[in-house]
Amino acid sequence: MTYTQEIQNKARELLGGGQVEVVIGYEVGPRGRTRPAFVYDPQDVERLVWNQACTHNLTTYLNDHLKPKHPEKKQGANSEARRVAVVVKACDSRAINVLLAENRFERQQLHVIGVACEGILEDAGQAGNERSAHQLVTNDPPQYQARCRHCNERTPLVYDTLIGKPESHLGTGPNPARPDAYQRLQTMTPAERAEFWLSQFDRCIRCYACRQACPMCDCPTCLYERDDSLWVGMGIGLNEKRAFHLGRAFHLAGRCVGCNECERVCPMDIPISLLNRRLAQEVEAAFGHRAGIAPVPAPFVTVLSNPGG
Amino acid sequence: MKLTTHEELSSWLDSLAENLNLIAPRAVDGVPLYRPVQHSQEVLWDFTRPVLSVKEAFFPATERLLTIEKGNRQIRLIESLSEEPQVVFGVRPCDARGVKMLDALFTAAPGDPYYARRRANTTLVGLACREMGPTCFCTSMGGSPDDASNMDVMLYPIEEGYLVQAVTSKGQALLDNYALQSREHSTGQAEQKTAFVYEQAEKYPLPERSAWAAQFEDAYWDQVAERCLSCRICAYVCPTCRCFDVRDEALPEAMSNASPSGNGSSQFERIRCWDSCTGEAYRRIAGGHNPRAEKGQRLRNRFLCKFDYYPRQYALGSAACTGCGRCIDACPVNIDITEVMQHIAEVSQC
Repeated sequence: MTYTQEIQNKARELLGGGQVEVVIGYEVGPRGRTRPAFVYDPQDVERLVWNQACTHNLTTYLNDHLKPKHPEKKQGANSEARRVAVVVKACDSRAINVLLAENRFERQQLHVIGVACEGILEDAGQAGNERSAHQLVTNDPPQYQARCRHCNERTPLVYDTLIGKPESHLGTGPNPARPDAYQRLQTMTPAERAEFWLSQFDRCIRCYACRQACPMCDCPTCLYERDDSLWVGMGIGLNEKRAFHLGRAFHLAGRCVGCNECERVCPMDIPISLLNRRLAQEVEAAFGHRAGIAPVPAPFVTVLSNPGG
Repeated sequence: MKLTTHEELSSWLDSLAENLNLIAPRAVDGVPLYRPVQHSQEVLWDFTRPVLSVKEAFFPATERLLTIEKGNRQIRLIESLSEEPQVVFGVRPCDARGVKMLDALFTAAPGDPYYARRRANTTLVGLACREMGPTCFCTSMGGSPDDASNMDVMLYPIEEGYLVQAVTSKGQALLDNYALQSREHSTGQAEQKTAFVYEQAEKYPLPERSAWAAQFEDAYWDQVAERCLSCRICAYVCPTCRCFDVRDEALPEAMSNASPSGNGSSQFERIRCWDSCTGEAYRRIAGGHNPRAEKGQRLRNRFLCKFDYYPRQYALGSAACTGCGRCIDACPVNIDITEVMQHIAEVSQC
């Protein structure tokens, strides 16, 4: 049985038995592009697919789908808590641990369909015959995404159903054809790095796709989008963009699971993941903490509690 | 029509770059964008289209409208209008058509002097597309990959070089003043302007304008928006999206100089920035109410604005979409305007 069939069968069972209200998975649109899908009806499960273009981190939709529908009735209504199923890769599954640690929802609200992922291709999101703007310029053949080349997990860390066999994994390793930008960045002087990042941020158009795609970026009002320009102005200028990107990176330190969706969705090809990787490395070196390995909060997350309780 | 070679065109571009602000498609860290170029060698030739439309040249992502100087007893407002003549080279026909649609808003009375000044100071040199990209659908929207109608100068690539057409007197002046070398070309048929026969790209149904409002309550909007991330990519890459926000912000240098008593003079700037109806806060009003709190309501607005509101309000005579396909390429979750068009066409036929 293929991964796709297994996912469809599980979805049919969960929806048919009323165990979840929706299965969040992947489908292929008419143009041949893989995209998020929300399946409510067991009759629609055949829309669901698994392929090497399943790049999206679907946990970014969980907060919205698990919020109580009637917040005013929240008290003592645990039995009414919403339940959803979500298809995750190993990297995505770590986001679930972070979200659980931050009390966004309860573990029992989720049925996690974990996929033993064999790597996602760089041009995921494009159809087979389409090339990204970057590829049109460089003419590079499609490769595994950087996150997959560095991935050590392969099997989701959190799941209720596991699709695929962990030992079937491909070990891709770094791409020798393309020097690792991260390593290159580490050999630069601070001044060179600053210049590199400013030239990257310069292209940013503040479309906020990076923030919107991120499962961790869920503040009701983003610090960088306040109407009063308290911390950062509204301008799409270099100062504001630097503040946004560096600030966002700090807010993700110890929380970012490295799914790199921020980088994938960026229309201007800003290598945002390099910042996140750097901070993840710092946090691991200083605190021995890797985001999402277990449902424990990042070392920088302050928990307010009753002095008495 | 006149014929010019690639070398002659390049040296013309070099002389333009020497004397004017020349903007052309250029690879910025591998990302194709319309950007100032100093030399024709920087120009990117063979690719589908820049990631951002040419609207940046008239309606930049951020611009300062005014500098505001606050003294003891007076406030001084200093306008900042651009005066620099500029030439945009390599404009795609879909982009030029987008500029025409922006003109409807920005040059209609009372007019926007910032946009209008740049527009008047700009010459558009178009380049017919060699082929339609996988997501291009200009032919479905009433455009075509070799449409010269919104350009000042149009170039058609053929085997021997480029056929040159002066579309407006402004374009003719640019050709004359900077002496593009060319000669009469009579071998080809007058009608066969390019050597590239466009493969019949898929044509999408374009629903009647009235069909859109009729689907205002369609449950489809919530369905298609369920995967929407509420980012602003689609509006920012779009050649015809023109929403902006205006805000007064303190200038940092003035903030550090301002005296704590408030008696000293201080400086502010009034800036205008791109905005997008897909963003959550776009429609929020005083008191906190948001009439478009749901993603489906916001996405519906995006499409109804393109196909109904804006064309109707400004008598465009066509939908405010040029079929450039950028939003299809850039959307992180594959919300596809051609799928939406097909849906509306289907349901409005029942």
